[in-house]
Amino acid sequence: MLSERKKQLNATILTVIMLGIGLQIAFSRSVSLNVIVVLICLLYLLYCRTSFKKIFVMLLVAFPLALGSWWSFIMFGTGDTWHSAWIYGTRVYAYLLLGSILTMTVSVKELLISLSIHAKLSETFVYGLLASFNMLSRIRQQFKLIQYSAQMRGKNYRLWQPALYLRIIIVALHWSEDLAEAMSSQGFSEGFPRTRMFNDPLPKWQLGIAIIVLVLHFGAAFLLRPW
Amino acid sequence: MAVLSISNLTFSYAKTRPTILNTVNLNLESGSFNLLIGPSGSGKSTLFKLMAGLYPEYGGKITAGTIKLNGQSVSTLVPYERAKHIAMLFQNPSRQFAMRTVKEQLIFALENLQLSPQSITDLVTATLHQLGLESFKDRQLLTLSGGEQQRVALATVIAMGSDIILLDEPFANVDQNGRRTLLTDLKNMQITQGKTIFISDHDLTGYQDLVDHLYEVDTVQKNINEINQTRLNSVTRETPVHSKLNAASVFGWHDLSFTAATRTLLTPHSFHLPEGQLGLLSGANGIGKSTLFAALSHQINYQGQVLYKNKASERIRIKQWARIVGLVFQNSTDQFIKLTAQDEISLSHQNTLQPHYWTERRIKSAVRKLHLSEVMDHVSYQLSGGQQKKLQVLSMLIMSQPILLLDEPLAGLDAVSLKNVMELVRRTVIDLNLSSLIISHQRIGVTELIDYELNFANQALTIQGG
Repeated sequence: MLSERKKQLNATILTVIMLGIGLQIAFSRSVSLNVIVVLICLLYLLYCRTSFKKIFVMLLVAFPLALGSWWSFIMFGTGDTWHSAWIYGTRVYAYLLLGSILTMTVSVKELLISLSIHAKLSETFVYGLLASFNMLSRIRQQFKLIQYSAQMRGKNYRLWQPALYLRIIIVALHWSEDLAEAMSSQGFSEGFPRTRMFNDPLPKWQLGIAIIVLVLHFGAAFLLRPW
Repeated sequence: MAVLSISNLTFSYAKTRPTILNTVNLNLESGSFNLLIGPSGSGKSTLFKLMAGLYPEYGGKITAGTIKLNGQSVSTLVPYERAKHIAMLFQNPSRQFAMRTVKEQLIFALENLQLSPQSITDLVTATLHQLGLESFKDRQLLTLSGGEQQRVALATVIAMGSDIILLDEPFANVDQNGRRTLLTDLKNMQITQGKTIFISDHDLTGYQDLVDHLYEVDTVQKNINEINQTRLNSVTRETPVHSKLNAASVFGWHDLSFTAATRTLLTPHSFHLPEGQLGLLSGANGIGKSTLFAALSHQINYQGQVLYKNKASERIRIKQWARIVGLVFQNSTDQFIKLTAQDEISLSHQNTLQPHYWTERRIKSAVRKLHLSEVMDHVSYQLSGGQQKKLQVLSMLIMSQPILLLDEPLAGLDAVSLKNVMELVRRTVIDLNLSSLIISHQRIGVTELIDYELNFANQALTIQGG
């Protein structure tokens, strides 16, 4: 269904790269590598024709966070404060961009189903999550509705009052019960095979790319250790 | 052909809770059209969920008896095996979809049955065609009206090829047109494809020539009996509405218009709600009735003005406005903000705008009139659909905002409850001189208590029977 659309990396491969590099970045101490990760991810986003505006807004929103990390090391760091500050400053962007190559190029549905096909994620989990994502807009509506119905009864729920969230949770619990019953009635069975209408090819070369990228980054980060 | 038989079935939600169904015996004749009637809270939904194999998996306990599908206990069947024979449409149309769009929903169900990809594609196309839903293929389910959602749910069940179709009060949020279409569809499927249809409903209109077997819940014995179909002929005709409007008014709108996405729902219109009168807002499903209420209660954006005491109300803060316009939501559970029925009523009592009128005694008698006394200590979510409606309406009546808008307050009520709710609403409106509008697809038993009818059609509102 979706495969003919583009020549992009498979969602599962992107997840592997994101997690693999992400874990390494947590331990590596290299500014230049972080910058390289950021640049490569940006190039990939551009290749996938993600809108410039979206990318720009994302980078802008993260700026205070990066600046905050950077600044706190300049102010309170010990040892080579400049090096540490730049590591942590760039790390924020490296994480951000790593996440975005997944979230900005594939849909939630694509990602979940891809993971269930290639990474054996349980289908109960996949469809439960999908259903709840599909209900997000309704939860938002419900939030307003609860506040309004309380006002009509002479009660004011403010955003910081736990009672408001308790209501949302109760409502969501009931929705989930109804939904689970409906899904059973429509034949959804835990632990049994299903037909897959969703084509999600994962060519071998993509697996190769993931391995090469991870190994290269590992070698560079922990053996070469550039500045 | 699937055969479903229930023998000596006894069921309760928990050991300590009262028995809901007691020694029920029922054999569904295959290829027949069946109707189950009974007051709200009598266990109709429970029986249907038992037949669909959802209970006891999702709650409750069968203390005696069996439900067998082709000789095998329903609850031991794997859902995908069961769905090929028996499937259900639910009371709450919007909560039965896991997927986002109509097509995805149908595909999801067929994937569960492990059909081949090619036959899934073919079946989806064929089913959408059969029900005339082709243009809905890529529509988002959450944007469809209640009636449209039920048609999609029916399409899902038809596509799965289930022989027995259970419909648990499927028309609660569906207008008369939609209801007729759905009933015709169902009859068609019974005759041409030999489907077994089992519907639970409160409204007996339109069933005379359709039904093969009529069942009724015996609320005393807590079991189910087949009864004579002459009951269906005793359906009363609705009383025509003769609109007579009072001149006095504190609330209205001027050049009001609004849209849903890109679709115009109402072109500029002006009207004044008469004081101390109860009006019926009628019109087909999805025409914009609920949206009108949302506009009047300042929940959505609109053009024009909503007037209160001859002043534009747009600058009144929502918190203040909520004490002027009271809205009874279509979905009862949206109204609840406490845990138990008693808490809901107490909160309204505490904050009512008419404390002199709503005395302890009056509230007690209203609770009794609506047959809620027994369930006041229950969690409101665990009440039956009809009980929830009654609790919801009462808690808003006690608030007594000068403007009272009721969106389908009678959906899913049996004839007695409906009469009691309508009488209570009417009494309150007259006693407290409220201006009230009510949306109801159900007309029988309603029209005689209505002062005027406002019909919503062709993006305009007109007074009927003036």
